[in-house]
Amino acid sequence: MGILSGWFGQKAASVSPGVSLFHYRLDENGEQARIHLRLDAEGSGTLIVNANRIMHLNPTAAWLAKRLLDRQADDEIVRAMMKTWQVKPAMARRDLSAFRSQLAELIRPDGACPIHELDLETVAPFSARPSAPYRLDLALTYRCNNDCPHCYNARERTFPELSTVQWKQVIDRAWALGIPHILFTGGEPTLREDLPELVAHAEANGQITGLNTNARRLADVNFVKRLVEAGLDHVQVTVESNDPDIHNRMVNARAFEQTVRGLKNALATRLFVMTNTTMLRDNVASLPETLDFLAGLGVQTVGLNALIYSGHGATVGTGLPERELAPLLDLAREKTAAHGQRLIWYTPTQYCHFDPVQMELGVKGCTAAQYNLCVEPNGDVLPCQSFYQPIGNLLRDDWAAIWNHPLALRLRERQDLPLKCEGCALLAECGGGCPLQFPLETLKVLNSTAG
Amino acid sequence: MKARIFSFLLVCALAFGLTTNALAQTYSFQLTKEVVHVYWNGDGTIAIDYQFTFRNKVSADAIDFVDVGLPNRFFSLGGITADVNGKPVSVTSDYQGQGSAGVAVELGGQAIRPGKSGVVHVFIARVDQMYYPDSSDEAYASGEFSPTWFGSNFVDGTTDLSVTFHLPPGVRPEEPRYHAAGGGWPGAGAPEIGLDADGRVTYTWQSVAANGFTQYTFGASYPAAYLPAEAIVRTTFVDLIIGGIASLFTTLAGILPFCCFGGIIFGMPILGAINEHKRKKQYLPPKISIEGHGIKRGLTAVEAAILMGQPLEKVMTMILFGVVKKEAAQVATRDPLELQIAATLPAGLREYETDFLEAMRQKSPAQRKPALSAMTVRLIKNVTEKMKGFSTKETVEYYKAINEKAWKQIEAAGTPEVKSQMLEEALEWTMLDKEYDDRARRTFTGPIFVPTWWGRYDPVYRHSHPTFSSVPTSTGMPGSGSGRSALPGADFAASVVTGTQTFAQKILGGDFTQGVSQITNPAPVSTRSGSSGGGGCACACAGCACACAGGGR
Repeated sequence: MGILSGWFGQKAASVSPGVSLFHYRLDENGEQARIHLRLDAEGSGTLIVNANRIMHLNPTAAWLAKRLLDRQADDEIVRAMMKTWQVKPAMARRDLSAFRSQLAELIRPDGACPIHELDLETVAPFSARPSAPYRLDLALTYRCNNDCPHCYNARERTFPELSTVQWKQVIDRAWALGIPHILFTGGEPTLREDLPELVAHAEANGQITGLNTNARRLADVNFVKRLVEAGLDHVQVTVESNDPDIHNRMVNARAFEQTVRGLKNALATRLFVMTNTTMLRDNVASLPETLDFLAGLGVQTVGLNALIYSGHGATVGTGLPERELAPLLDLAREKTAAHGQRLIWYTPTQYCHFDPVQMELGVKGCTAAQYNLCVEPNGDVLPCQSFYQPIGNLLRDDWAAIWNHPLALRLRERQDLPLKCEGCALLAECGGGCPLQFPLETLKVLNSTAG
Repeated sequence: MKARIFSFLLVCALAFGLTTNALAQTYSFQLTKEVVHVYWNGDGTIAIDYQFTFRNKVSADAIDFVDVGLPNRFFSLGGITADVNGKPVSVTSDYQGQGSAGVAVELGGQAIRPGKSGVVHVFIARVDQMYYPDSSDEAYASGEFSPTWFGSNFVDGTTDLSVTFHLPPGVRPEEPRYHAAGGGWPGAGAPEIGLDADGRVTYTWQSVAANGFTQYTFGASYPAAYLPAEAIVRTTFVDLIIGGIASLFTTLAGILPFCCFGGIIFGMPILGAINEHKRKKQYLPPKISIEGHGIKRGLTAVEAAILMGQPLEKVMTMILFGVVKKEAAQVATRDPLELQIAATLPAGLREYETDFLEAMRQKSPAQRKPALSAMTVRLIKNVTEKMKGFSTKETVEYYKAINEKAWKQIEAAGTPEVKSQMLEEALEWTMLDKEYDDRARRTFTGPIFVPTWWGRYDPVYRHSHPTFSSVPTSTGMPGSGSGRSALPGADFAASVVTGTQTFAQKILGGDFTQGVSQITNPAPVSTRSGSSGGGGCACACAGCACACAGGGR
């Protein structure tokens, strides 16, 4: 029972028809983990560790995982196995023992790599078809105290916003759909005074919560404290440069000092903190110094991404061609390795231009309307934070109609790919890059039946 | 008067069956009340009316169907109806409970949700072959009945159970005889006697201390004259034995009713076992999968050797070949192994190669060995890092295939020159073979042209071929024209093997691998604490991927 000795708390939700979501916490030997087990109608399951490691369980594995996480005794489980399946006791015990060891490692946040160390079976990247996304981004507001010329936001800052009660309904609906991860974004989500209240509400459900912010409001220690007390789990702070002038120019505000103070305040808490820097022509020269600067602040995880071709980003003209990214990412890898930091690359690219796998940055592809969705300030659902084509309203519309909206299906099934992608061996991972690079209405698609 | 006392051969009909459900282990409920009416009809049939009141537990799955066991297979499915809280539900033949016969009540949209209660009503209009001669009195017929019961792992608590026999029309109250309630019945063994609305004599057994998982047995005998003669099943003891044996060979149970004789119940355990087997699902071992890559391509032969767990001395030899091939060093002496390292290292050396050269610069074994150890640890960690998100198993298979392909190309080479060319390109890949020594000896049978760099590896060869070019070293070793000549294949193979052995014995020593393993094999010690969610990952697992988590503003 070693793996279970550190459990405390469990919250179960009986949610949408046939789907159940169970939430567990692990606190053992200094490691903390939040584990979600989503059981589907047909008996298979999804195990999600800290909202960022997602594993798929066949019905037997899902059945066993539930019982092990529920701390059932081995004898009890074996008896139940024998009543359920045509399995001999020796095999039941052997499989239970092996599965217990595997599960114990998988739920450790710093456990072995599931693929190369545990030799889990691999399935093609982005091949899962869940009944709901794993993460829901809530754009609480499109108001912002910065005014980035490259911002992907395509809406007016005065866009209507849901009330606190309505946002709680959104969060509860997400929980009922089996979505374990809520990310508060915007606009600038900290401009909503009810942010701590919404965080607390999601945490009370059992959801993991995160915040994408420019951190200017985090310069207020008391505000940070409220977020921490509400249970917030992670924060991503946008830092465009170590150079105040460059940063301020890129966000079109005198924001640098506040942002850095906010970042420091967040780093001083238990929160998991990372930064994100959009690499543009404006700041690329200062990238080495920026990475040194972040290391000096004690930032352990550094995120980088390229321009998103949406909103102002579609016309700003400061984006870097994908072919120019490799040397920058090489440099970033060297820097972060030297500083003992973790580097996360976000942007889905066309692998023929920039292959993040070869760069050892991981598989990066578009997961819009598949593993994540975004809810706009008025409750409308977007395929992702930057894809401004609503596919329904979460408070008003039937979930199946949203999830299976034609646009969602087109993105999920990657129906809109450039013709050049035909026959490419990397297509499963690459997926053609970010769909926002090439407006769908102008794209000559590989799949001629699409759209 | 107790009928059972007078029985010599009492043939009984048992309504037998264990009520279960498809995913029974996820069910947990209470059967708070059960009301059963058994109508023993004048035409030799019976009708059964069940009313179950379930209270489902909060933590359990919904009760979505109920299997109801029946006394035998002589019933009409079309005559069975059911409802839940008064709302009709369907009844099918998909019975998966224990025992030979029964039906499944599919609750469908009326499923009893966790934490809720519901009343399931089932009416079985007709079951034939339920009457048997009373062994104590030829003029009497008898029947016994057990209400369907549930698995003890699913149901707990007490049940207010009431079983009422409605005896055949016309039977007078003084004529019938009851059988003592069996199976540990907690209530009175004798029933309450009464009349129903149709004037039929009733026997009612009732107890609030019963439970839903015990098989209780109730019975009655009454004058056979009230029944058609053909309605009474006259089964000999031999028939019963045959019936029991036959049941061993068929899952079409229900061939005969079960009988009681001298306290022995024939057939039931056997049938029970068969049907227990039948109702279980086929087992598939648990499997977890994750999105990610299969094969990690692009590893060097040295990295592949690490991944494949090749002996470290062989890995060292491969690295040595690499640096010699790239003109970064040449072997000055083989025993002891000393290198002459180029004054200016060529471009394109791998990190492990420069580490290796640095280690080999150390003249003292006390310094060289720890340096080689550190180099190896670093190499292993780098390979581990590169493998994140990729399947070890599939990658090893991939490099095994490369190894095999390398051998095949060499073996297929038509001339010593071509073979030499192949060797030049693929020597390190051939060394991934666990049986390298044997295969090399088998393959290199005739004279072969050694690789162009061989002279830098083999001082003896170099000295015997003075035209061979050497590495410019800090000691000013002179270069010379290139050239090579044929070497007996066996000598060549032996030279590679000897090189490996030299590393094993002279450089690394017996405890080298163990020392490295102590550093690299244990699972990494966690240093992270305090974070409880979110974050990201830098490995290649798509399952860990979190692209577009909101950057770019």
